[in-house]
Amino acid sequence: MIHFDEMACLLYLEGQLEPARAREMALHVGECGECSTLLHALERESHVLSAALTEDNEAMPARLLSTRSWGVPSWVWTLAFGVFAFGAYWLWADSVDPWLQRLSNAGFGGTDFVSMLLFSGAFWEGWSYMIDVLQVVAVVLVGVAAVGLLRRRVRRPTAIAVIMSVLALALAVPQRAAATEIRREESVLVPATEVIHSDLIVSGASVRVDGTVEGDLIAFSGTLTVTGHVTGDIIAFAGQMRMEGTVDGNIRVISHSLSVDGSVAKNVAFIGSTFDLTERGQVGGSLITINTDADLDGHIHRDLLGLISRTSLDGGLGGQMMVRGKSLRIGATGEIGGRATFRGSRKPVIAPGAKLASPLQIVSQEEHRRELFEAIRVMINEIVGFGVALLLGILLVTVLPGFFHATLRETGRIGAPIGVGALALLTGIFLLALGILLMFVGVGAGVAGVLAYAPILYVAQIFVGAWLGNKILGEASSTTGAVIMRIALGLVILHAAGLIPFLGGLIWLTVGLWGTGAVLLGFYRMSRTDEIVTLPA
Amino acid sequence: MNPADQASELELIAQARAGNAEAWGELYRRFAPAIFRFCRRAMHTREDAEDATMDIFIKVRQKLSQFDSSRPFSAWLYTVAANHCWDLLRRRKGRQDLETGEIENMPLEHPDPGQLEQLIEKSTSQEVRRALDQLPSRARMALVLRYYADMSYDDVAATLGVRRAFVGVVLLRARHQLREILGGRGVVAGGTS
Repeated sequence: MIHFDEMACLLYLEGQLEPARAREMALHVGECGECSTLLHALERESHVLSAALTEDNEAMPARLLSTRSWGVPSWVWTLAFGVFAFGAYWLWADSVDPWLQRLSNAGFGGTDFVSMLLFSGAFWEGWSYMIDVLQVVAVVLVGVAAVGLLRRRVRRPTAIAVIMSVLALALAVPQRAAATEIRREESVLVPATEVIHSDLIVSGASVRVDGTVEGDLIAFSGTLTVTGHVTGDIIAFAGQMRMEGTVDGNIRVISHSLSVDGSVAKNVAFIGSTFDLTERGQVGGSLITINTDADLDGHIHRDLLGLISRTSLDGGLGGQMMVRGKSLRIGATGEIGGRATFRGSRKPVIAPGAKLASPLQIVSQEEHRRELFEAIRVMINEIVGFGVALLLGILLVTVLPGFFHATLRETGRIGAPIGVGALALLTGIFLLALGILLMFVGVGAGVAGVLAYAPILYVAQIFVGAWLGNKILGEASSTTGAVIMRIALGLVILHAAGLIPFLGGLIWLTVGLWGTGAVLLGFYRMSRTDEIVTLPA
Repeated sequence: MNPADQASELELIAQARAGNAEAWGELYRRFAPAIFRFCRRAMHTREDAEDATMDIFIKVRQKLSQFDSSRPFSAWLYTVAANHCWDLLRRRKGRQDLETGEIENMPLEHPDPGQLEQLIEKSTSQEVRRALDQLPSRARMALVLRYYADMSYDDVAATLGVRRAFVGVVLLRARHQLREILGGRGVVAGGTS
């Protein structure tokens, strides 16, 4: 007797067998003990499986049942961000900055990280910038990798926020374990004989530090005078500040005026009105400033980066000078050890005795205007490019929704479309080379290839943009408006990111490969018809 | 579900769609335990199940406007949950599981009905659950979708991304793997065909 196989028995039990075959089986089972036993065993197996899966269900944890677990409370993020910023600051001040200084001492030069953020557009120059950019990219990649790894283990946002906070604290705490002293009075005086063995946070109308602070000095005051010794940084928000003592770290100040008549071992960052570096004044690192008037009679060992309306330099500058403002005067005693650039409306005045390592580069108002026009042109190009891409996206969503969604799904697979895109690029290059080799045969094919490839390359950004929009705003509902909004957001981000020097090129290359691969895969999916498969009897 | 409950459920969904947080909270309280139990069966660890439950409801909240109210809400919810869990498992495991083509070509040995009955009789629910935990993701998911969530072959096919005609093959293959774990390789195979 020919028996039914196990597959047919299972499909029969589950009501999936064609009616004619099911009738045949019903008749057969009545006569065949072996098939009947198998059928019975399979049925029992189904029951056992269902029972095993439904029995002994674990209860849902009560904390998940609470609707409060719905969103991460905003204070968690605020706290996490605050603590993270705090940790990042310490990491910068105590690890990255000294490392950069060591690099600088080793002869690699370099601008400050903050200056890179503030002045990157204006002062794009050479290797030092590259080092900084690579450093930022490395830090960002480490951060992304850390979050990725954390997400695999701990997926709850609250837990991630807490872990990030703890990490940030872990970075900060070992270096500043001591307690902080806080003083809040109308007039605060730290006498010359007093030594504070911790950070000092101080606020008052008048603050004077003649003694020693073995840590950071953080001040909020009308007038701040430091004649003593601060072994850490000074961070101050003051009406007027005068520093006549010694600071082993950095000075970061927002105030109306700042006068440095003492010694600062690291950098000075100042935002305010007037800055005065007296003849006695020494800055071991760089001066970064946005202010109205700067009189620099003392010595700055590294760079000067500034948006300064009026600059007067009679002292020494060990590194580069990059200043944008109205006027610049370099006195007879002025010295600049590195490259010097000035962008301003008035012609700089350089006294005959001034010592400059290289001639002062002057970017005139006209050149400045030309640069501005160029920047505007680039912006208009970007806006037009964005508009065209968005229109194309709208067209795709409304006219070819099937293709659009299929390609968007492929875009979400990330690895596969990038691989296919890279392969397509390599194939394109190969065909181009072959075309050039074969000359006459290749011209037509090459032109046709380019004509086909160029639109795909352009459309690529729409899908990567839509994917990005989905990631930020959540997957779009079926409404066209929501999809278009996501495309628009993604395109804005891509076009903005594309403007970043160096990185922008890499971003567009990735977008090109990724999107092209997705479009090609989308075409493939759309062209594939589902084969009809019949099961063996 | 009686018509009154169904009406109240639809009312809740409509309110939640309109942005009513209370209504959404009530929907969540009503359905989250079932979805958690499903996730617990589909995912390997309790933590994964908790996270998946939260993620599923975040997704459901975003997609609520897409829900077709002529269908039962719970069925839609299970579909979203199944897709999410399978997505997670697939992403984590990569492509370790067998592809459709390989399943198609995999020979399935005919079991000895008597030995199969014996094996089923002596296996306790706890042993079956432990064996389920050892199954590859696709096999485990297929069994959970069919014998826990009671999904149709169409829905199982859509979730696992296989053709409908292969659902039976996937299920049978999963059963074979389960039997191998329960009884030791080859114990129940080798009968006549």
